[in-house]
Amino acid sequence: MRITNKMMTRNYLSNLGSLSSNLNTLNTKVTTGRSFLKSSEDAASAIRGYNIRTQLSKNSMYQENISYAQSSLTNAESTLNQINGITQEASVKILSAMNSTKSLNERNIIATELQALRDELLSSLNSSSSDVYYFGGTNIDKEPFTVGADGKLSYNGAVLDAMTSGSEHLTDSRYLDIGLNLAFTTDALGNDVVDKSTVFSYSITGPSITGYGEETLADGTKIPKNLYDLLGQIVTELKKTDIEYNTEKVGKMYGVFKDSSLNVVNSMTVVGAKSSYLDFMTDRLETQELNLKELQTAVEGADPAETIVEFSSQELAYQAALQMGTKLLQPSIFDYMA
Amino acid sequence: MIPSFVPFQTARRAIAASMTAITVTGNNIANANTENYTRQKVDLNSISSSDFTQQYTTGKEYPGQGVDVAGISQYRDTFLDSRYREQASTAARYSTFLGGLSETLSVIDEAMTDGLMTQFADFTRQLQTYSQSPTSSDIAMTVRTSAESVVAMMSAYSSQITKVREQAVNDLSKVVINKDFNTTVENIASLNKAIREQEISGESPNELYDQRNAAIDKLSSIANIRITTSPEKVGENRTISNLSIAVYDTSTGRELPIVDRASYNTLTAIQSSDTNPTISLRMNSSFGSNDGANVTEFFTGGSIKGYLDLINGDGIYADTSTASTNPNDANGTLYYLHTLDTLASNFANTFNKLNDNPPTTTPKDLFTAAGPATIPPTPITAKNIQVSDAWKKDATYITTTKTGTSGAAENLHRMIETMSEDSTFLADLPGNPGSTVFKGSFNEYMAAVVGELSLQVELNENFSDTANTVLATLSDSKEQISGISLDEEGVNLVVFQKAYQAASRYFTVLDEAMDTVINRMGRVGL
Repeated sequence: MRITNKMMTRNYLSNLGSLSSNLNTLNTKVTTGRSFLKSSEDAASAIRGYNIRTQLSKNSMYQENISYAQSSLTNAESTLNQINGITQEASVKILSAMNSTKSLNERNIIATELQALRDELLSSLNSSSSDVYYFGGTNIDKEPFTVGADGKLSYNGAVLDAMTSGSEHLTDSRYLDIGLNLAFTTDALGNDVVDKSTVFSYSITGPSITGYGEETLADGTKIPKNLYDLLGQIVTELKKTDIEYNTEKVGKMYGVFKDSSLNVVNSMTVVGAKSSYLDFMTDRLETQELNLKELQTAVEGADPAETIVEFSSQELAYQAALQMGTKLLQPSIFDYMA
Repeated sequence: MIPSFVPFQTARRAIAASMTAITVTGNNIANANTENYTRQKVDLNSISSSDFTQQYTTGKEYPGQGVDVAGISQYRDTFLDSRYREQASTAARYSTFLGGLSETLSVIDEAMTDGLMTQFADFTRQLQTYSQSPTSSDIAMTVRTSAESVVAMMSAYSSQITKVREQAVNDLSKVVINKDFNTTVENIASLNKAIREQEISGESPNELYDQRNAAIDKLSSIANIRITTSPEKVGENRTISNLSIAVYDTSTGRELPIVDRASYNTLTAIQSSDTNPTISLRMNSSFGSNDGANVTEFFTGGSIKGYLDLINGDGIYADTSTASTNPNDANGTLYYLHTLDTLASNFANTFNKLNDNPPTTTPKDLFTAAGPATIPPTPITAKNIQVSDAWKKDATYITTTKTGTSGAAENLHRMIETMSEDSTFLADLPGNPGSTVFKGSFNEYMAAVVGELSLQVELNENFSDTANTVLATLSDSKEQISGISLDEEGVNLVVFQKAYQAASRYFTVLDEAMDTVINRMGRVGL
């Protein structure tokens, strides 16, 4: 085959060009640690890489939401502790007042102390931090518990005595998306609502702490079940004169009071359970995050050892080509003609 | 006996031929590095005395009368030339298209930088934070700022891709058409004229051939051309060949003549007057029947086709039913602009619907098209999407809840769910308004666009590499035949020099013989 000088120089230059461009690409791969710099270099890995990034971003959002919920639960727990302390103290005092040897004056003193405890209870129930009320459900900017003109306690405008078990106030809570496949469904009325099993609710509703509704006694009288109104009625009873004072009635109210106090303890248990659930979810999300990051390195990262070895061998090839080239291009027959 | 002075003519011819051969070799050596130079050789014929009849034949044989320089010709293979030109046209088409696509990809590629997908993720994150405390107006402002970043990014993508397109339009009309195509055809036509004059007078204008071939090679990388040569008899013993060039579409077999001997046609690039104007090519012809006609469809190869695909290519949005608007269904810049428009309008419509919950008579739009409100409202595109004026004034314009209590955030959760769940993307395709073009989340849509473009770039890179490799091989084959090897010329130089020396020696021998006859024969006793 006939070879001309132009062919040799042109082929030599194009091979040199491709060697040096490979060298450049490998150099950039080593310094950035990425196996591709443009999506077109490896389109399939690029698309997988983008999906992994989306999942990592979601994962970190869920973790943020969980830590917000945790701090909210911690606040609720410490307030519930306080409320528990109040109910226990009240319980002791009511017991001592039920002792029939107490005189009207002694009963009045206890009544005053119970009154103070009742006010403390109300302000604990209306606890807030940074303008967010803990126990109001989705009502976070107005006091959830208010006392009406008739002295009865209302929760978010609904009188507690009249509340029934089907009330929406009992299920109304704040919730966050922590990665349980947030979804919406249609409820019985045809409205588009959140599917509660796909979100995490982190607020405790007021009525579940205080109790709600009324208890009907054997003789037909109705006693409020919620702690505040109950305490109020006990105080009123204790302040009555010896003639009207009815120890039995106080006894019955005390029974209901003890039952309703258990609500506070139950709420604390619920908070504890929710908190450990969140710990469990955090662990899971952290593990998931690690796995995703590992996957991301596998898809988008370059193995540094492999890349450096490749780079060295390309460098060697480049130098060899340069050296050979000078020998290739010089001599011709004219050097040897006399 | 041979006439006395006839061998002198033989000697003279020998010396002249050797001298010519040396000169041609010297010319080859001098042009060893000239671009587009084809190596030349001397055509030598031996002169015989035996192909004419004489009035008085002697029945004896006469020896040959030396050598005749028939001409100086070039080593060239025309079939190889045509294969090379076809391949050059293919290679140029892919490399032009690839260049534009790579630039477009670098606008939306997020492998190394943060782009629209990152902005979508940030917007979702701000919505999640807002759902923690829906009454906080600070966080409402960060949500709005994040939304502003999303629409700003969409707008930036759109205008940057438009710039890539404008650059391609500029390259096509000013550089390729006005400078390269039009001047080259004019050049070829004038070379045709000069070559014809020289050929008629019997010469072989090798340098002009080289220039014309160089011009035709250049033209072949611009458009898909075909050369035809037709012989013309100009005299008793003389036939010259006339060259004409046409743009030839192999799939339909249609031809568009652009050069015929000394006449040539030029092209003008016309922009239509739409918002994203398409380019069409119009012919200005001085011969043939296509003056003023729209000849865009004839160009199916070369860098012109690459530019046309890049500029006019509208993919699935192209209306191929009407030929008059130059529809082009390649996935060019126009297609990618339209896919971004689809994303922007679906994003805006989805969130506007979510925000208007429950629906009211004056919808609570989060995103609108920039500019004054019109009836019917201007369709939202990637370029004109913006955060609505109402939202700009009041960060809490975003509807957090349908039912009303301040801490409820179920509408925000609806928006969060929308960002990660599958949406149906609708677009107005020609002949099929409101058709579904994609089902997936917003991030998946964008990843699909980047993925599609990456694959296209990868594919065209492979096409381009293959075409260039084949072109290099053909170029080597051409060089093998027409190129100059200094070693070969050196050997030729020695060979012809020896022939020259031998011819001179022969002349000396004749001279001495004549000298003997003239000066020393019949001089008896002197």
